[in-house]
Amino acid sequence: MSYKCSRCKRDVQLDEYGGVRCPYCGHRVLLKERSRDVKEVDVQ
Amino acid sequence: MSAEYDVEFVEREDREARFLVRGVTPGFANGIRRAMVADVPTMAIDTVRFVENSSVMFDEQLALRLGLVPLTTPPVGEFGEDETVTLSIDVEGPATAYSGDLVSSDDLVEPADENVPIIELKDGQRLEAEADAVIDRGKDHAKHQGGVAVGYRHLQRVEVEGDLPEFEDEESRIIRGVIEDDGELVSTSEFDHDLSNRYPGKEVRIEDVPNAFVFHVETDGSFPIEELVTRAADTIAERATELEDAVQL
Repeated sequence: MSYKCSRCKRDVQLDEYGGVRCPYCGHRVLLKERSRDVKEVDVQ
Repeated sequence: MSAEYDVEFVEREDREARFLVRGVTPGFANGIRRAMVADVPTMAIDTVRFVENSSVMFDEQLALRLGLVPLTTPPVGEFGEDETVTLSIDVEGPATAYSGDLVSSDDLVEPADENVPIIELKDGQRLEAEADAVIDRGKDHAKHQGGVAVGYRHLQRVEVEGDLPEFEDEESRIIRGVIEDDGELVSTSEFDHDLSNRYPGKEVRIEDVPNAFVFHVETDGSFPIEELVTRAADTIAERATELEDAVQL
């Protein structure tokens, strides 16, 4: 899963062992980036 | 009901008009009004594909805003119910995305107004999307309403009955719409909607003229007024023939 560290703004890859923590700066707040897929929405 | 209607324009502009129709029943007048609001097919955006949206609003909110942008509607028969027209938008901040930024793949279907704001984008934000417009009716979704602010009033006849008593205070008499004065049509806005301005010191009587209605019609820019009214009448005729065919087994 790809996230972005909210402190150092670097891209972070998380695996199931490392826990939720930025490997570069140790910050525990990570942000999920929007995927690059095209999203189709109906007008309602 | 008489076979011929007498139609007279009081005000006439591209998107807004006021006209008098004589010789229609109240039921038919209301039928025309309802047809103008709900039964005239117009183009509107129905699905949006977001390539990038880093603005502060959700995709769904922007899709709704894009759907409500009035689009010009091609002549009858030019488009089928399931055909689509693709429009695209690509705006990068700092800027405001306007309806005029929508680029259409078809010259017949374009935003009716260029200045409808969609979203304000700050530095680094970007909106890139592709949208499909379809033709449909106002009764299915309000975005397909061609006629907006459609209404009618009775034509009112004003008759002077005599002078007011000498020492009586003049009271204002507010009416709205269009009055008929010796066959001449006068909009009440010409005398500030107050009959005491037009007939000072007179006692007047107002009555509705039977079967004469003054329509006030405004379109969203999909087509001119004349188109809207004639297409509305056509939809009524269509449904009437449909009913006729259905009952003749």
